[in-house]
Amino acid sequence: MTAAKTLDPRTKLIMVLCLSSLAVFIQDIYVLGGVLLASFVISVILKGDLFPAFKQVKRLLLLIVIIAVIQSLFAPAGKTIITIGTFPLLTTGGLIRGAEFILRMAVIVVSATIVATSSSRETVQGLVQWKIPYEIAFMVSVGIRFLPMLTEEIRNVMLAIQLRGVELDKIPFRKKLKIYSYILTPIVVGTVIRAQKLATAMETRAFRAYPRRTSYMTLKMALPDYAIISFSILVSASVVVVYYM
Amino acid sequence: MSCYIELNNVSFSYPRSYPRGKVAINNVTLHLRQNEFTALTGPNGGGKTTLAKLAAGILKPSSGKVLICGKDSAKMTLGEIGKKIGYLFQNPQQQLFALTVAEDIAFSLELNGHDKGEIARKVKNMLELFQLTHLQDSSPFNLSHGEKGRLALAGIFINHLDYFILDEPTTGLDVERKNILSDIVKRFSGHGIGMLVISHDEGFVAQHAKRTIEMVEGEIVYDSSKDLRP
Repeated sequence: MTAAKTLDPRTKLIMVLCLSSLAVFIQDIYVLGGVLLASFVISVILKGDLFPAFKQVKRLLLLIVIIAVIQSLFAPAGKTIITIGTFPLLTTGGLIRGAEFILRMAVIVVSATIVATSSSRETVQGLVQWKIPYEIAFMVSVGIRFLPMLTEEIRNVMLAIQLRGVELDKIPFRKKLKIYSYILTPIVVGTVIRAQKLATAMETRAFRAYPRRTSYMTLKMALPDYAIISFSILVSASVVVVYYM
Repeated sequence: MSCYIELNNVSFSYPRSYPRGKVAINNVTLHLRQNEFTALTGPNGGGKTTLAKLAAGILKPSSGKVLICGKDSAKMTLGEIGKKIGYLFQNPQQQLFALTVAEDIAFSLELNGHDKGEIARKVKNMLELFQLTHLQDSSPFNLSHGEKGRLALAGIFINHLDYFILDEPTTGLDVERKNILSDIVKRFSGHGIGMLVISHDEGFVAQHAKRTIEMVEGEIVYDSSKDLRP
């Protein structure tokens, strides 16, 4: 049996919680690099689907430049690389901040692939056994499932708009704003309609018919789970303590 | 007869197919001519919609080439393709964007900078043709499935194109509306416009198709145009 199958989803959630907390608290590019490496190694061991994660991070690369410029303009630090008149447009400090942002985002995206190695049903069960109300746990799992659907829907709408003979790159800026409303309208309406249909389907399948819910699936933590949870918390706490001291 | 869409030795697999690497379209060569109504039939999962999306340049082939008016579809933007081919999705909801029915029909002409008077005239014609006049101020998202289908058709027919690909256009239409669609199809065919229509509606196919192609498991198993040739 693979590590992804044997580990309890709650163990994975704790690991992800530790990794993402470190990504938020740490402001050192080298330590952040180490956190990303750790997330990457865990995801590879658990056979996470890293390819889509890479694509998502790649899309964010342009943000490095934007954040680097904004940081350089408003909080210049380090050596100035590019100046316009007396204004520093790009500084080494700004570039480092931009890179740190991308590392943080990469940790969060790679962490998501760790959680995704368990099915949404297992994750919900894990949350329920943590005494989180089933309704909330179910909402979390629905939210996780809806996100990729939204991305796909945006792609479909863009495709359908272009297939009506609209060349997006040739549209003047004023009309481009109108296109955004054409993209958002079906997405918002579609989301509301889907939520209504899901609610109806849940009602017809007797969701919340009884105050207490029993479950055929029961998760049980084993020794490796306890060991990994203790190790994750200990290491994360140590990193934070050493970093802030 | 001019060749409009050419598929030369086209194969295609979906990236997340199950089982992995399963071929959805297997080495298909097909020439779709303008001025010809071609029906694409076959069982579910046979690759009809995939073939239509490849022909329309929505999907890019894993191997082989798709030429639209002699130009490689891989080198064309979707906007360019949309100016040559009209595509009706299986689910019409996928191609409705605006807040009102009339605005949805007008949307592509407005964005392409057509004259306001001309847009108003064309929209009025389409509303009448597809019996949507009484719904012109309604939200497209509140329409019934059949009405959404008619609106999507109006939205693509308003652009005077040379070729249309319609994926299940008769789904959700009552007999009267199906007859209206038949009249429109006849009128367009009479003006030398080519069509590739995916349909399970045998009556509709028999009424209009000059050529019938049947697909099973990603391969063309029957092509009436070849069958009729000596």
